[in-house]
Amino acid sequence: MNRIDKKFLNLRKEGKMAFMPFVVAGDPSFAMSIKIIKTLLKYADLLEIGFPYSDPLADGPVIQAADERALKAGMNTDKVFELITKVRFFSETPITVLVYANLVEQRGLEKFYKDAKKAGVDGILIPDVPLEEIEPYIKVSKKFQIRQILMASQTTDNERLKKISKLAKGYIYLVTILGTTGVRAGVEQVTLDLINKVKVVSNLPLAAGFGISKKSQVDELGRAGANGFIIGSRIIKILEGIENNERILYERLISYLNAITGK
Amino acid sequence: MPESLMTPLFELENSYKELIKDTNYKKELALLLNDFVGRPSPLMFAKKLTEYAGGARIYLKREDLNHTGAHKINNALGQALLAKHMGKKRIIAETGAGQHGVAAATAAAKIGLKCIVYMGEVDIHRQRPNVDRMKLLGAKIVAVRSASKTLKDAINEALRDWITNVKDSYYLLGSVLGPYPYPKMVRDFQIVIGKEARRQIMKKEGRLPDYLIACVGGGSNAIGLFYPFLKDRRVKMVGVEAGGKGIKTGKHAARFSGGSIGILHGTKSFVLQDRYGQINETHSVAAGLDYPSVGPEHSYLKSIKRVDYTYVTDKEAMKAFNILSELEGIIPAMESAHAIAYGIKLAKKLSKDKVIVINLSGRGDKDL
Repeated sequence: MNRIDKKFLNLRKEGKMAFMPFVVAGDPSFAMSIKIIKTLLKYADLLEIGFPYSDPLADGPVIQAADERALKAGMNTDKVFELITKVRFFSETPITVLVYANLVEQRGLEKFYKDAKKAGVDGILIPDVPLEEIEPYIKVSKKFQIRQILMASQTTDNERLKKISKLAKGYIYLVTILGTTGVRAGVEQVTLDLINKVKVVSNLPLAAGFGISKKSQVDELGRAGANGFIIGSRIIKILEGIENNERILYERLISYLNAITGK
Repeated sequence: MPESLMTPLFELENSYKELIKDTNYKKELALLLNDFVGRPSPLMFAKKLTEYAGGARIYLKREDLNHTGAHKINNALGQALLAKHMGKKRIIAETGAGQHGVAAATAAAKIGLKCIVYMGEVDIHRQRPNVDRMKLLGAKIVAVRSASKTLKDAINEALRDWITNVKDSYYLLGSVLGPYPYPKMVRDFQIVIGKEARRQIMKKEGRLPDYLIACVGGGSNAIGLFYPFLKDRRVKMVGVEAGGKGIKTGKHAARFSGGSIGILHGTKSFVLQDRYGQINETHSVAAGLDYPSVGPEHSYLKSIKRVDYTYVTDKEAMKAFNILSELEGIIPAMESAHAIAYGIKLAKKLSKDKVIVINLSGRGDKDL
């Protein structure tokens, strides 16, 4: 059984939401990134790892800056897979990677998924491939038993939602805001409505992402029926400048992780 | 393209399809193009430039004479009218050289919409006059400081703004780039260039030209000129890219000479990238050509060998910039100077009975 499916099944039994932190692989460096991931894994139910990309158009300024740092530190597709392989030495937590289409295309679809499987990836999310173009990716994902994660957003109409729920595997990534990734204040009513709409057409777990940073937002999303929540920008923001201030920023990260997971 | 933009893109496509059939819309746009832009733009015989090259007869399609000084206004007005028709209140635009930004700001002012323009910080500094013009026209300029701080990054920011404000905002993309229906829509609005040129050259020379030449950044002025001639097999066409400091230096924007097929901004086309798919930074003395990808239709026209693509270096373009200014009394945009530079080279090799039409896509006041 895929690690993602197993995890959500167990969490559902316990009545818990999945905490899914997101970081960019290799930010600010390969070694430091592994250290950060180790810390996150003490709290994470599922880990999302981003491939750094030169033009991350679904992301806001915080993640884009992380991408730039990672690329500057010499990260590339080979090294991201190497990093995930290393993480697999010490963790069995499910891992989803977020990767922009051109990185997959340049490696070749088949080779990308094959290498991902070998490294220990459980799910792949490609934010810039729309439903209309997703078929070949779904096909390869099935071949390598990787879950193809699809997104739904406020602008997704019912017809598209039905198609998404039919094709998606693992979980559905619910984009909670109109906009790019980044920290926002509350949860909009339209988002809560969207959770209901998706619940009607799909039995898959729903993971909410974009704009989430506070416990109150997480609780609200949980009450509305979300099964997991993704936090990226906030965590990355806390760790900005970690090269020079390691001890204090780790302390800050841990106290944040305790607060957000209610530990 | 991200899921959040898919439904808006379908809405855009449907509204566009509906509107281009509408007689009132066609009339309104035609009136604006005539009285506000000053179309048709002349096709001018460049007598002294022809003598200088000493070969083929050179004609210039004077898009530099359009209101706002470039071909960009043709598309900006068409799309701004569409935005109004769709009930949008706010226009988002990206700009490289600032010509599209000025055109979008102008169209927004004329039609009564708010306008916000994203422009790379590097371009803001090197195209200052256009920044001032946009401000005068009531647009808000946002400096883009990410990555290479040029056109590519401005498009990223414009798309992000659109994702965020998709309900009340219209993204007015300036070239034949981006997700469908933009490449088709922008082409449709620029075809007027080629349609007029065809009529004008028939009147002046009594025959079709032997060559069409245009610079290619995203490729909207080129496709506008080329498209109405595509079926005329004997009309040869050349798209001129920015060779920057030379292909070997890596500091250029010649996608067809140094690029490979990739995906950028919702389009599969030739892209300058590394072997992993990270998009390369580009270089050109012309901000409007400084972009790592090219309109997908150009990639198609290259693949079927209908259009040849070549490049001209910064140095050659700057020389042509001076030559045209001194010989013809026309200061060309640095982008258009690339087409002029190649046009001179080509004319030299051709006999005197041949005819070349060069698209003078914009004027160069911004480049002084």
